[in-house]
Amino acid sequence: MSLAIRTSGLTKTYGEHRALDSVDLEVEEGSIFGFLGPNGAGKTTLLRMLTGLARPTSGVVQILGHDVTAVDDSIRARIGFLPDVPGFYDWMTAEEFLRFVGRLFSIDRRTLDDRVGMLLGLAGLTDVTTAIGGYSRGMKQRLGVAQALINAPELLLLDEPTSALDPMGRRDVLDMLTSLRGRTTVFFSTHILADVERVCDTVAILDRGRVVAHGPIQELTSRYAERKVILEVTDAAGDLAQDISREPWAASVAVGPTGALEITVTDMDAARLAIPVLVAGRHTGLCRMDAGELGLEDVFVSLVGGGAR
Amino acid sequence: MRGFAAFARKEFLEIVRTWRLWVLPGIVLFFALTGPVMARFTPEILRAVAADQLGQFTLPDPTYADAYTGWIKNLSQIVLFALIIVYGGIVSSERRSGTAVLVLTKPVSRGAFILAKATVHSVFLAVLVVAGTLVTWGGTAIVFGEAPGGALWSASLAWLVFGILFVALMTLFSVLISPTAGAAGAGLGAYALVSIAALWTPLGTYSPAALTGVPTSLALGKSVETFWPVCTALLLAAALVALAVTAFKRKEL
Repeated sequence: MSLAIRTSGLTKTYGEHRALDSVDLEVEEGSIFGFLGPNGAGKTTLLRMLTGLARPTSGVVQILGHDVTAVDDSIRARIGFLPDVPGFYDWMTAEEFLRFVGRLFSIDRRTLDDRVGMLLGLAGLTDVTTAIGGYSRGMKQRLGVAQALINAPELLLLDEPTSALDPMGRRDVLDMLTSLRGRTTVFFSTHILADVERVCDTVAILDRGRVVAHGPIQELTSRYAERKVILEVTDAAGDLAQDISREPWAASVAVGPTGALEITVTDMDAARLAIPVLVAGRHTGLCRMDAGELGLEDVFVSLVGGGAR
Repeated sequence: MRGFAAFARKEFLEIVRTWRLWVLPGIVLFFALTGPVMARFTPEILRAVAADQLGQFTLPDPTYADAYTGWIKNLSQIVLFALIIVYGGIVSSERRSGTAVLVLTKPVSRGAFILAKATVHSVFLAVLVVAGTLVTWGGTAIVFGEAPGGALWSASLAWLVFGILFVALMTLFSVLISPTAGAAGAGLGAYALVSIAALWTPLGTYSPAALTGVPTSLALGKSVETFWPVCTALLLAAALVALAVTAFKRKEL
């Protein structure tokens, strides 16, 4: 397995504040990787270190097999980057800006002509001849995605690429990212879970500077689903919930909108043995007992939504 | 020096297509156009409005040298102060707006970023000084009927070296100090220090500080030491740019 990104023990502190805390991350080449986390979790800090804009306090950060802190500027010829709030020269037009960026990559004129035309079309800016200063935030975001692709990068780093887009714009960008699967490694940070579920193979969830979950989406949802039991009984659900809440393996019990009990368990084996006994003890009928299916949102909320923020 | 040419081209276009085209050129050309006329008529204006206060004192008739010294005085004060204020944000404005992040995540070295700015704006200043000197020269010839070129051009070029030194200094200050006003304040403070340093004869003769007075002397046709002040100023300008590059490489964006 070759890795597009690898970080090991990556830590970044600002005075007493630990923005990133020993982050270990591996992103396979060709994958679409979603980097999830609430605001202030450290997503942008990590991207700044991946791009060499900031230096780690400690740890290793590698891109395409090269240590970012040791390598010269040439590694950046192989990556594309869109910051969370891209800054443009307001006096340029979109075409001028793309040509300017292309020249920074030393792209020959003929190739640049082709790519500029194609990317203006992708960004929906082909017929826009006004200066960037008059663009809406969505137009700037689309131009930002286009400039990140001007060099046909091996690795595309995007910080919140869909946050300023309307639903159509979001769909277009996500479709574009999907079309890159297998050819370009895409690493994008976001807090929009639906985007991640739609296009990503693998995700990492960051909370307060630490990676709290990392792996393929299916694996994450099934791993955390095992901790939740959905229970349906014929009657006395409230009494049964009280019985269950007193058990040492029950972290929480809630009655769902359909009357089913949603039980978060700390010991699945103990729960499987005890729940039927408790149901029988209440002389009620057992209709359904299974592990609940969690979506990525449930996983995200359970991992980062519990603590006081 | 990856990306130098492409980024320098952007800097040039930015001058041509933004407010930068009007501010410094406007100031320079205004004083270049009005300087000879003001030099010619200022004594007459003074006699007209304050003759009773002049008493026995007689104002000398104006000469081309008055136009030349007026031009150098305007360069040394108003143009230099405008330059310091304009270039207080030469680097920091790109950091604040986020454009530096987009550029420096491309294969552009931070050295090329700084060097392109210092080079393009030094060339821009040179073009302005040459254009302003040409206008002053022509205006002086029209108003006074004589305008020897040597004194004017040597004085203007000596000041240009001083101006380039301040472009380099402001590049460094703009790397070190994020607020534009802070960098501009540091630039004005540096000018005050240089002016004071020039009072000490060794510094006032051989160091860049001499360039606070040398251009005026040259404009008056006096023979003064120019080699050492010009050489040390150019060397110091190169050192300041090198320092700006080093400091910028250490900055996190």
